[in-house]
Amino acid sequence: MSTLLEIENYSGGFRSETGELTPILHHVSFGLQSGAITAVVGETGSGKSLVALSILGIQPSSFVRRSGRILFRGVDLLGLDERAMRRIRGAEISMVFQDARAALNPVFTVGRQLADVYQLQHGGGRSAAMKQAIEALRRVSIPEPERRARQYPHEFSGGMAQRAMIAMAALICEPSLLILDEPTTGLDVTIQSDIMELIVGLCRQRGLTTCLITHDLGVVAETCDAVVVMNAGRIVETASAEAIFTRPRDPYTQRLLSASQLVEAPA
Amino acid sequence: MSRHDLLAADAVAPAEAKPAKARRRLRTTWSLRIGVVVLALYIAVALLSLVWTPYDPLTPGVGDGYDAPSWAFLLGTDRLGSDMLSRLMMGARYDLGIALTAVAIASIVGTTLGTIAGYYGGVVDTVALRTVEIFQAFPGLLFAMLVVQAVGAGLVNVILVLSFVGIPDYLRLARAEIHAKKSWQYAEAARMVGNPPWRVAFRHLLPNSVGPVLAFTSINAAFAALITASLGFLGLGLPPNTPEWGNMIARGQDGVMTGQWWVSFFPGLAILGLTGAFYLMGDALADLTDPRRRR
Repeated sequence: MSTLLEIENYSGGFRSETGELTPILHHVSFGLQSGAITAVVGETGSGKSLVALSILGIQPSSFVRRSGRILFRGVDLLGLDERAMRRIRGAEISMVFQDARAALNPVFTVGRQLADVYQLQHGGGRSAAMKQAIEALRRVSIPEPERRARQYPHEFSGGMAQRAMIAMAALICEPSLLILDEPTTGLDVTIQSDIMELIVGLCRQRGLTTCLITHDLGVVAETCDAVVVMNAGRIVETASAEAIFTRPRDPYTQRLLSASQLVEAPA
Repeated sequence: MSRHDLLAADAVAPAEAKPAKARRRLRTTWSLRIGVVVLALYIAVALLSLVWTPYDPLTPGVGDGYDAPSWAFLLGTDRLGSDMLSRLMMGARYDLGIALTAVAIASIVGTTLGTIAGYYGGVVDTVALRTVEIFQAFPGLLFAMLVVQAVGAGLVNVILVLSFVGIPDYLRLARAEIHAKKSWQYAEAARMVGNPPWRVAFRHLLPNSVGPVLAFTSINAAFAALITASLGFLGLGLPPNTPEWGNMIARGQDGVMTGQWWVSFFPGLAILGLTGAFYLMGDALADLTDPRRRR
């Protein structure tokens, strides 16, 4: 298996208004294998979302990189200009946000938003794009996609909106790399597992390289191939999912596992 | 509608949510209906005046001077014996036309500049805001008077001055709207799928601000109509015999003292009706353009 995306020695911090640099990320290095689902696990504030945003070049403007490269197909994304980066976003790498209802534009119907993205990425006419949008909604198991496509985001429940976002990021954009930033946080537990099932199904079926950012080890155990554990801006452990759950080496990983109560605390 | 109401409406069954929706709809509909009907009436009169008026509005002496309202002259005649109704009808063309044209120019230019300033921020934003503040230091009417005095009266100049007076407000409004929304997640999501900045600003963010901008457009139209009339009243706007309502009030003000109230009263009423219609529509449009409030 080849590596689609490689983060090498990525460090940086936030610059305050007084010019002080608060280091956040320390020598973060990990790779995403083609076709695999890799989980980045860590507590809130461990810097996992920041890494994800950095891949797409939308980290907050106060974040300053100190060192490192992010290689996508061998090209350093951090060295690309805005125009080149725009060709990567959506078409090559797309992202699903935690709060799908906030990520949908409140004044356009859901169908129109998906159709817009389809036209932006693939061109073609409006009605053809709308057909694709409805088809994508159907494939993420949204009931009555024709009717739902004409509704506004506020008429969608959180779970439905997340399905629509997944349809947009995975099916409409047709990226090679899909990043999911806490996609199930804030949803009901039963809906969480439905959504995860959907994500895993889509990724496996299409051979999509996937980076799942989460703090929920339960989700990771069932679905992921590889796991990257982050703590306080550092990578503490990188291993296959099986190895993480059966033979966690780092003390932090062990603590995380026992706190999640998924496995017996290692003897 | 507050956030709490929205959540509650989501949770309860549709049947229970109905009364609140119905009430909101009714209110919206009535202020909009009245506003639209009155405005449509003004537009109809303005168009009608192109093909028919009871008398020639520009000819003096069709009646005697200061004829009281009668069957022959429904709204009376002015000092020079011109028919008031005919002049009032033709005036709709001027007052409505000037207000609508000026507002159209101001809203398009101002909103575009404001969107650019709000989205790109930085130096562009600072320069735009400081420039606008300099112009806003003068009251709108005073500024309009000064400029019309300087560049000369006339239809085109009045329209341009009114547009110019309106631009700063649109710029500030659009700038504040876009600035507040550009870091919202749907803006981020729009950038994420590869939209170029101008597309994020104009296609994704600006439509979210249509409500406030439209609402303000109506209020701005009322303001533009008032300034047009004020300039006319002060003799700074259009040529003296033009049946612009402000001009007409000015011509009739001597009559008010001696009992010929109709010469100033009816143009005043016309201005009141027009501004009132704009205000009502502004309120209703703000409600209608927000899909969360539309339901």
